[in-house]
Amino acid sequence: MLTELETRLLGVLMMVIMLGMGASLTFKDFRIAFRKPQGILVGLLCQYGIMPLLGYLMAVLIGLPPAVAVGLLLMGCMPGGTTSNIFTYFSKGTLALSIMMTVCSTMVAVLMVPLLLAFYGGLMKVPSEYVIPAANVAQVLVVLLVPTVIGIALRKWNPNVGAVIEMVGALLGVFVILFLIGSWVPRNWSLLMTTASPVYLAAIGLGILGMLLGYFLSRGLKQDKRRARTIALETGIQNGPLAVLIVTLTFTGTMQQQVLLIPVLYSLFIVITSSAVTVWFRGITTREEIARDQAKVPAAPAPAPA
Amino acid sequence: MPTSAAEYDRQPWTKHYGDDIAKQLPPQRHTHLAGLIRDCEQRFAGQIAFTTCMPNGMHGSLTYAQVAKHSDAFAVYLRECVGLAAGARVAVQTPNCLAYPVVAFGVLKAGCVLVNTNPLYTPTEMEHQFRDSGAEALVIVDMFANKLEHVLPKTGIKQVIVCQVPQFFPLVPRALIRAVMKIWNRVLPPIGIAHVLLKQALAQGERAKQAKGIDVAAYTASAGRDALAALQYTGGTTGVSKGAMLSHGNLLSNLDQALAMGRARIADGGECVLTALPLYHIFAFQFNLLCFFSCGARNVLAPSPRPIGNLQRAFENYPLTWVSGVNTLFNALLNEEWFTAFPPRHLKAAVAGGAALQSAVAQRWERVTGTRIAEGYGLTEASPVVSFNPLTGLQKPDSIGIPVPGTEVRLVDDAGQPAALGQPGELTVRGPQVMAGYWQRAEETAAMIRDGWLHTGDIAVMDAEGYFRIVDRKKDMVLVSGFNVYPNEIEEVIAQMDEVLEVGVIGVPDAKSGEALRAYVVPQAEGLTEEAVRAHCRKHLTDYKLPKGIEIRRELPKTPIGKILRKELRAEYARAGAA
Repeated sequence: MLTELETRLLGVLMMVIMLGMGASLTFKDFRIAFRKPQGILVGLLCQYGIMPLLGYLMAVLIGLPPAVAVGLLLMGCMPGGTTSNIFTYFSKGTLALSIMMTVCSTMVAVLMVPLLLAFYGGLMKVPSEYVIPAANVAQVLVVLLVPTVIGIALRKWNPNVGAVIEMVGALLGVFVILFLIGSWVPRNWSLLMTTASPVYLAAIGLGILGMLLGYFLSRGLKQDKRRARTIALETGIQNGPLAVLIVTLTFTGTMQQQVLLIPVLYSLFIVITSSAVTVWFRGITTREEIARDQAKVPAAPAPAPA
Repeated sequence: MPTSAAEYDRQPWTKHYGDDIAKQLPPQRHTHLAGLIRDCEQRFAGQIAFTTCMPNGMHGSLTYAQVAKHSDAFAVYLRECVGLAAGARVAVQTPNCLAYPVVAFGVLKAGCVLVNTNPLYTPTEMEHQFRDSGAEALVIVDMFANKLEHVLPKTGIKQVIVCQVPQFFPLVPRALIRAVMKIWNRVLPPIGIAHVLLKQALAQGERAKQAKGIDVAAYTASAGRDALAALQYTGGTTGVSKGAMLSHGNLLSNLDQALAMGRARIADGGECVLTALPLYHIFAFQFNLLCFFSCGARNVLAPSPRPIGNLQRAFENYPLTWVSGVNTLFNALLNEEWFTAFPPRHLKAAVAGGAALQSAVAQRWERVTGTRIAEGYGLTEASPVVSFNPLTGLQKPDSIGIPVPGTEVRLVDDAGQPAALGQPGELTVRGPQVMAGYWQRAEETAAMIRDGWLHTGDIAVMDAEGYFRIVDRKKDMVLVSGFNVYPNEIEEVIAQMDEVLEVGVIGVPDAKSGEALRAYVVPQAEGLTEEAVRAHCRKHLTDYKLPKGIEIRRELPKTPIGKILRKELRAEYARAGAA
């Protein structure tokens, strides 16, 4: 786990990064995201439809010990994580859509997370009473939205300032991702060595399967490929720190240790998987850009723009 | 047939000028571009003249007054520090950036001759152009200066001045852009030859100007309209790149002619024009740089329009009112959601040249942006504008429009006789914009300009209203078993296939039919077969128009603005045959 100071520092860095993300956007980008509001709805469906179900099914199928299974289920019920926006930015996805999805899933989290936990917890016959720190959820929103809006405003005020902040944010984003990977592995070495392989399967599989299902569900619901990739990242990447917080507030002692296992491992591995997926998606987007650049305008009348 | 030159000389197109286009050009107020430039620098002094917008939105700007100061300093630097005389050739080799107008105007103010050079040229091409023009100084962007190492000793260039893409940007963005170029993109190779940085050259020029109390206007005071302004290199018909001699009078006249077509929609000091095409090309040089500078516009320069996403910030951050482009550029914009969802709100008109504008693109553009793309026609040898579709009134798709004011056009046959109305003939042009000739090439000049008529080598047709349509290049016409075939027609047919991205058709020698057609096809995606192309052709073309050879390939040779080079394809075929 991170120390208190590191957590605070990461919080501040996160705000700077979101400032940079915001500076890469205009309000028009959000209007484009809202032009096809299905995207956000599809995203919410993936977030609170696919992921909790996936967590529940995996817990049942892999046959995890009850306490660990609770951790997995909890992880599945979390809203989208803020890091999804950084990965979407680097994968040249639809950043405005990603941010809107994180905002929406976080806003409804206070309502949806307890509901889902009660439902699936009941199915699994595990305790389903959790402390949901509404204040922390609200904090996520503030950390996400305030810097983003300031970033957009700065960019509008002076594109040079905006572009510089965007660069700084992007660099910090890479730094934070590398820091997370580089510092968590040695720190949690003994945990990693003693963890059983089913737990690994669950912690890593949740993110990867989430992305896969998120992509294909979005494609099935008529989202274009770039939006589908954005939704895939958003679906697979959950808010790990929030899960950790909920566990520490709800459980104590050895129970807490066991429930924490999946959220901690997930948080580590999702950074690695998402980085790989981001590199892959970025390549695809670039190829699509080049193809679109050369594509012919259809001769048949296209629908007039709204 | 009773046709005579009279059909053309009565200029049926003038009635389509309407109220918006002046039939008579205004009297020329300047004899030299330097005079016009200076005039505008004073009139619009406090306004922004140029903004370079990078793909990430970083930007730098120069006001008209700053352009005046820097270009004056550069003129003084060339004359006093490098020691050039009036009429000396100065090559400029840079993509669109703030350094370009400063340097180009500086060259003109010094009374020197501008030699625009494509920055992507190979060392061989550079050597030819520098030697042929006799360039004595060269301004080159740092990205490509390493190509000079072996070229420079073989040329007469005395001084190399190196500029940067983010030249004149504020400190922090400039440093960041250069760091990214150097470390991430690795496009700033070390420069192994003696050179001076543009910044230093400007400082030296400024000092010399102060010290000697130089009046820059005196450099060009005695120059007349016939003084040479630019050597604009063009492949032309014979293959070897030749320098079209464009005088100040040519360029100033064509500026007025081009402006006349759009004047009704241009407010002095109120326009914002996007320059995505390279300024070293005559179309952007005349239309974007000269025309809009003379109107006090803000010119947004995009260093590289590819991929097209590079232009997104320019469209978002500036209230663009005019855009110039080629078919591929408009096409690419229309494929972007950010463009079609929020088309530029202030746009008044778009202008297309360089290559034929597809009607599908033109129609979609009008639907998306609510403005027209006016297609025009021109060539380097005519500074370049010959004709344009009017912005208001009758506009004909697939037409190059009507001749600009003060321009005579005739279509003639091989014997030089005017072609009958509605019949194809070679487009010939006479007017104040027609070049004096090719630099040091009397023979080619005589072949190109006969009795004052510029023979464009393009086959065109004029309709009863005086609108022209280009059929094809004369030299590209193929004679198959005695039938004239225009490759354009075959290309259009093949390009209709969805699987086809682009296509070039040429004529090659053939034992049976004299000449035969050969098509080079670039597929949109994998899987296109020669047989599929052949079947498509058989459905739409008569026998003698069917391509005998079809080659599927990954790309086609093209000019910097995207015209397919059939000449290269022919040379390639000849080489393959010889081997």
